[in-house]
Amino acid sequence: PGMAGQEQQQPPQPQYPSQAPGYQQPAYGQQPPVDQMSQQFQQMNMAQKGGAGYADQKQYRNVQTINLIGMQPDVRGLEAPPPPALLPPNASVTQSPYSQPDPSYQRCTLNAMPTTQSLLNKSKLPLALVMAPYRSFRESDGDIPVPVVEDSVIARCRRCRAYINPYVKFIEGGNRWKCCMCGLSNEVPQLFDWDQREGKPADRWARKELNHSVVEFIAPTEYMVRPPQPPVYAFVIDVSQAAVQSGMVATAARTILESLDSIPNADKRTKIAIIAVSTSLHFFSLPAGATEATMLVVPDLTDVFLPKPVDLLVNIDESRAAIESLLSRLSDMFQDSYTVGNALGSGLQAAFQLVGKIGGKIIALSASLPSLGEGALKARDDPKLLGTSKESSLLNSASSFYKTFAIECSSKQVSVDMFLFSASYTDVATLSALPRYTAGQTYLYPGFNASRAEDAIKFSTEFGKVLAMPIGLEGVIRVRATRGIRLSAFYGNFFTRSTDLVALPVVPLDQNYVIELQLEDDLKAPFVVLQAGILFTTCYGERRIRVITQAMPTTDNIGELYASADPTAIASYLTMKAVEKSMTSSLDDARSLVTNNLGTMLSIYKNQVTSAAGASAQLAVPDNLKLLPLLCCALVKHVGLREGAQIPPDLRSYAQALLTTLPTQALVPYIHPRFYSLHNMPADAGTIGENGQVILPPALNLTSERLERHGLFLIEDGQNMFLWVGHEAVPRLVQDVFDIPAYSDLAGGKATLPVLDNPFSQRVNAIIAKTRELRRGVYRPHLYIVKSDAEPALRSWALSLLVEDRMDHMSSYAQYLTTVKNKVNGSS
Amino acid sequence: MSGSNFEDVEDRDGVRFSWNAWPSSRIEATRTVVPISALYTPLKERDDLPPVLYEPVTCKASCKAILNPYCQIDTRGKLWICPFCLQRNPFPPHYKDISASNLPAELLPKYTTIEYTLSRPAQIPPVFLFVVDTCVDEDELKALRETLVVSLSLLPPNALVGLITFGTMAMVHELAYADCPKSYVFRGSKDYQPKQIADMLGLNPSSRPMAPLRPGQPMPAPAAAKFLLPVQACEFQLTNILEGLQRDPWPVEQDKRPLRCTGVALGVAVSLLESTYPGTGGRIMLFAGGPATDGPGMVVSSELREPIRSHHDIDRDSVKHFKRATKYYEGLAKRASQNGHAIDIYAGCLDQVGLLEMKSLTSATNGFMIISDSFITAIFKQSFLRTLGKDDQGFLKMGFNGTFEVLTTKELKISGVIGHVISANKKSACVGETEIGIGQTSAWKICSLTPKTSLATYFEVVTPAGQPLQPNQTGLIQFVTHYQHASGQYRLRVTTVARTFHEGGHPAIAQSFDQEAAAVLMARIAVFKAEIDDGPDVLRWLDRMLIRLCQKFAEYRKEDPSSFQLSPNFSIYPQFMFHLRRSQFLQVFNNSPDETAFYRHVLNDADVNNSLIMIQPTLMSYELDVEPHPVLLDSVSIRPNVILLLDTFFHILIFHGETIAQWRKANYQDQEGYENFKELLEAPVGDAQELLEDRNPIPRYIVTDQGGSQARFLLSKLNPSTTHMSGSGYGAGPSAGQAIFTDDVSLQVFMEHLKRLAVGASTS
Ligand SMILES: [Zn+2]
Ligand SMILES: [Zn+2]
Repeated sequence: PGMAGQEQQQPPQPQYPSQAPGYQQPAYGQQPPVDQMSQQFQQMNMAQKGGAGYADQKQYRNVQTINLIGMQPDVRGLEAPPPPALLPPNASVTQSPYSQPDPSYQRCTLNAMPTTQSLLNKSKLPLALVMAPYRSFRESDGDIPVPVVEDSVIARCRRCRAYINPYVKFIEGGNRWKCCMCGLSNEVPQLFDWDQREGKPADRWARKELNHSVVEFIAPTEYMVRPPQPPVYAFVIDVSQAAVQSGMVATAARTILESLDSIPNADKRTKIAIIAVSTSLHFFSLPAGATEATMLVVPDLTDVFLPKPVDLLVNIDESRAAIESLLSRLSDMFQDSYTVGNALGSGLQAAFQLVGKIGGKIIALSASLPSLGEGALKARDDPKLLGTSKESSLLNSASSFYKTFAIECSSKQVSVDMFLFSASYTDVATLSALPRYTAGQTYLYPGFNASRAEDAIKFSTEFGKVLAMPIGLEGVIRVRATRGIRLSAFYGNFFTRSTDLVALPVVPLDQNYVIELQLEDDLKAPFVVLQAGILFTTCYGERRIRVITQAMPTTDNIGELYASADPTAIASYLTMKAVEKSMTSSLDDARSLVTNNLGTMLSIYKNQVTSAAGASAQLAVPDNLKLLPLLCCALVKHVGLREGAQIPPDLRSYAQALLTTLPTQALVPYIHPRFYSLHNMPADAGTIGENGQVILPPALNLTSERLERHGLFLIEDGQNMFLWVGHEAVPRLVQDVFDIPAYSDLAGGKATLPVLDNPFSQRVNAIIAKTRELRRGVYRPHLYIVKSDAEPALRSWALSLLVEDRMDHMSSYAQYLTTVKNKVNGSS
Repeated sequence: MSGSNFEDVEDRDGVRFSWNAWPSSRIEATRTVVPISALYTPLKERDDLPPVLYEPVTCKASCKAILNPYCQIDTRGKLWICPFCLQRNPFPPHYKDISASNLPAELLPKYTTIEYTLSRPAQIPPVFLFVVDTCVDEDELKALRETLVVSLSLLPPNALVGLITFGTMAMVHELAYADCPKSYVFRGSKDYQPKQIADMLGLNPSSRPMAPLRPGQPMPAPAAAKFLLPVQACEFQLTNILEGLQRDPWPVEQDKRPLRCTGVALGVAVSLLESTYPGTGGRIMLFAGGPATDGPGMVVSSELREPIRSHHDIDRDSVKHFKRATKYYEGLAKRASQNGHAIDIYAGCLDQVGLLEMKSLTSATNGFMIISDSFITAIFKQSFLRTLGKDDQGFLKMGFNGTFEVLTTKELKISGVIGHVISANKKSACVGETEIGIGQTSAWKICSLTPKTSLATYFEVVTPAGQPLQPNQTGLIQFVTHYQHASGQYRLRVTTVARTFHEGGHPAIAQSFDQEAAAVLMARIAVFKAEIDDGPDVLRWLDRMLIRLCQKFAEYRKEDPSSFQLSPNFSIYPQFMFHLRRSQFLQVFNNSPDETAFYRHVLNDADVNNSLIMIQPTLMSYELDVEPHPVLLDSVSIRPNVILLLDTFFHILIFHGETIAQWRKANYQDQEGYENFKELLEAPVGDAQELLEDRNPIPRYIVTDQGGSQARFLLSKLNPSTTHMSGSGYGAGPSAGQAIFTDDVSLQVFMEHLKRLAVGASTS
């Protein structure tokens, strides 16, 4: 029996278009609320009976097997929610519909926990948490705000320090609670049932932390090592000739200037500093009340020092006039610069000296390879290495400076963002180490030229969003789990300070982290709880703890494990592992890692779950994982991992930086782009739907078979959009969309689509606009017009996104399935 | 020659010789004790010098001597004979009309000194680089800022100016940057190499290829033009920068001195000029408000509990930073002087700033050294602005990037020069074996010259004994000074002097003794020795020389001191020596090392008259119904009813005797019928003003009363003829002077000793 029958009530979850044929609507087990006390008694009884008896009462989830060979995948299932965790009845004390986190906050590769490590090993399924705990909140997307516990009554387990959550048990008449992680009985805090504002008793069961799996506590002073720090931004701007001439300096300065009111500064404490870097360091003294800046040039790069003890890092309001004056002429100041050289590393050290006492964000903007001072780099992108096993050396850091410096930054609560612009090699692999270990982010603008409006707008928009981002400060993430579960590896942009604690000097919105889990003890309880706590200071000076609690049943059944597996989380996990492999070993091994993992999983599935013996012409997968092979196929063909000697190392490294940081919402389309046919889209596509959102056309399979010679198509992966124009496109279409009489007059390349006075133009523009803001994050994809019969480089770039096709010597999806099938058969 | 004659010669040629007639053999010359020597003032102001706007005619032989009135000329053959090497030189073609009645100025007897304005103009106007300390109090900085702004208006409009400020760090200000104030910052604790500094300022030509320069083409390289601009082009911006100067912003703890990187600032300044304008006139003007406490050239640590060194500390060799700092500044001094750049030090500080360590900067370059208690004082402001004084044509009275050369006829050789010069290492035939001062060369570099700059030059006679010269044979000395005039022209000042040789013992030699010049020339040697040797050794040397001179030239009967007699042109010489022995130049322990460095620096640039005032101060007495008159520099001159005016060159002091002081306190001067008393009070004040008028550095002006605390300045200078040791029997009355508490011997005792030793059998 499927799950549909249990469906009674839907919590707000991402919806999937119901017209999708052949797709089974997932459902969420939801128990009706029952009397709290009786529930507790029931649970106490169960505890007395012991964990072993529970399995007898339990029904295993049925697995539906699907054969993939010869079937076209239904790509619309890619955004489906994960299989639900089928918790025992009354696992949650409140039966709240919000007792499990939205998968955008946290999801697990498995939604049932194996009771033993040996079962996990046997299954070959990965066990990992995939999380973006500090994800952004958009009301327009129907996001509910994270509930905040404001009375500073924070109930935590005395032993394991877990936060009270919907999965604890109240005992002894509700005077004590039993920790769901370690089992310790804890006293309920005195004011737990007291409404401090109203001064009267409160309903315990209405407490947010007992109803919500995602909740925030306002932390009292004992959670602070020091008073909350103000937000601090130090800009390190490359002002070498290349940077000035590309227009980067002017655009960056203008964007900062325009963002002065949107940079988080609610309590008027925000500080900024600007350091311009070329062959020297240029500091700017910006005294409060002054109307202009004073430039202090430090040409000594070997032993970086601050030229002044004050006025270099200044309050954004007090020094507003000088800051504005400086930003409005920054680019002009270096207009005549003939200096070739970029002492970025020294500039970073200087910025660190400025902000290190407080902590904060260093934002480096560099348009040339750092060539001087500390951390100077050499162009090492030898084309002969590309496509060989030595290519992985180019994906690794060329200098230990950046990692060492990053760890120093992390220890002083400093995070670094890198905005890289370069007409030539800029060694993203090395420079991205800084954001990687400091919870920052790397942004790359290849061939940036601000005289092209598209370039200026993209950078300015993304930079502006980064500046306006309500960052968290001085953050740490600690993940706790039911006894027996151990964290074994961490992936993402942060520094792992101890075995269960990662440091995020600045907590950015919408970054993804993966934490691999292991079982060190057999699990006896019917369900387990995983809890991520992220302690941070808001940019308005409040110390907060965001707690995300997720519960899942335990199982000793391998089939159930497969049935509960989340393909998106697994793909996310495999992405992290593959990128790591590409650096420690080779790109070849990285791709093999993905395919072998997939093959082994499916092989175990075939042998252990479906019990099919011998070679098979089919490739059997559990229904819930039926898109995993497509994601794996797309992943190994992704520019970050793809085989080939044509991919510039910077683009590869940047793709890897994105692969390892994008939250799943953005990661899935980045791996498996979306593809729409526009010339024949449904009538409502591109119009506003009932929910007030632009209706998108149905997504197509990523194959050029769908391309029509007269058609107009859109391919997008969240980073770039390709508007594909068939060479037989009728003049009317060309006229309506591009305001150009005929296809032959159309120019391909980076473009801004005109908004014309016809419905089709408006619908296409609406779809493009919607695509640009579809997902959380700062990215504003470029739009490229691709003519189907011109500009081979651009054309093949667009086509490379059609991953179901065969490309160069990389297999098509069908071929990929055969490869996987052969592995499955071979290992059986 | 009599005393007034010496001064006439000085007026004409700027030269005063110790001996104006010369012994004709080496032996005899040695016996005259005081070497043949001259104090020469190359740029001595002289109104009647004609403007000579053509090139000098030079000897075509290697001696390069310049045509002068002592040359033999053949107007018919159009030839002249070089008196120094006897080379026959044809006159240049444009001298074809030369005749006995038509001679060019340089051949006229009255122009033994002449100045040529050379046709080749200087490529670069003079450069002035301000190096300004910002570790000073707000009011100090304010005063300094104001004075510096005023000074800009005194510079030639085309002069290049630059600004370095320093404190914890040294900052080079860019003057041509339009967008905002901009400066280059150097770490104060770091010893930068010259090339690093040039690279960091973008001045290194190798890192920025440039087209080769044509002769005469101005070379303001773009990089240099960031930091050094014509006053007229950057006055507004520079004034803004100066007016906006803030105190060093780095915090200073209670028990610390501010971090002051004078050494780095000067290093950067020297490198800046060295890499932009080598070999052209320029000066680095340091304004120091305290000692260097960090980095190379550090004089004292920033810990206040560590006091700045005294003479005693240096004597005990217990000064931590002294040798290293001195060596550092010597390195800078060498580089600056080789590039023709002068370094001035203006100290505005109650305490020492490290002049002793830094003195090579000024002494190798003839920069100004001026000390004052504060930048607020008139002494600082006026002394500094006075260095920028102008002549009646509006040009700075300042020459730049000079070379000073001496030629001699073959009987004389040059032993050396004492003054603020460095050797130019010219090994000509004129160079003697004996070395006095800076020798082994016949040419010296002198980076800065004023009309007062006076060089002591020493000579030796090389004629071997037994081969006497012809009677009345003359010897010639030619002083050739090439320098960059403030007008932007190169100029060449030539002085040629002739003196007669006489055989040993000839009375003309003794009669030609200029005791004033000799005292000054001996003082320079003594101070030169004191810089190297122990104080007592120098005093013993001075005494020995004095005794030997008296033995040679006094009249006496052997072993009869009472018969001792000196002729008038020798008679004051022992007194000069007495006062020189007691002076701050040789008795250093009453002064700080900085003061000693300062006093010695000023002496080594001064002419005869000023030097004499420094050695033996003048004392004027004023009393009712008596014309003001000079009195003995002696304690007997102190009387209750007189006003004394003391001029030590460094101090001008008005001292009211006890009675005068009482009257003054009672304000008699304001009452009717006491006009004469009022006039009496005013007379020394007026005279003091006159003394102040022409003097630089501005002396410290003190008005005090008998018994006042400031009176010690007077008492320390007086001959202690009446001391607390001399008993009450002698001159006990109030009119007999004031007893001075000192263990020093009086002039009378000194003279008694001198006489006894001179007439004694011993030749010591
Ligand atoms: Zn616990
Ligand atoms: Zn000659």
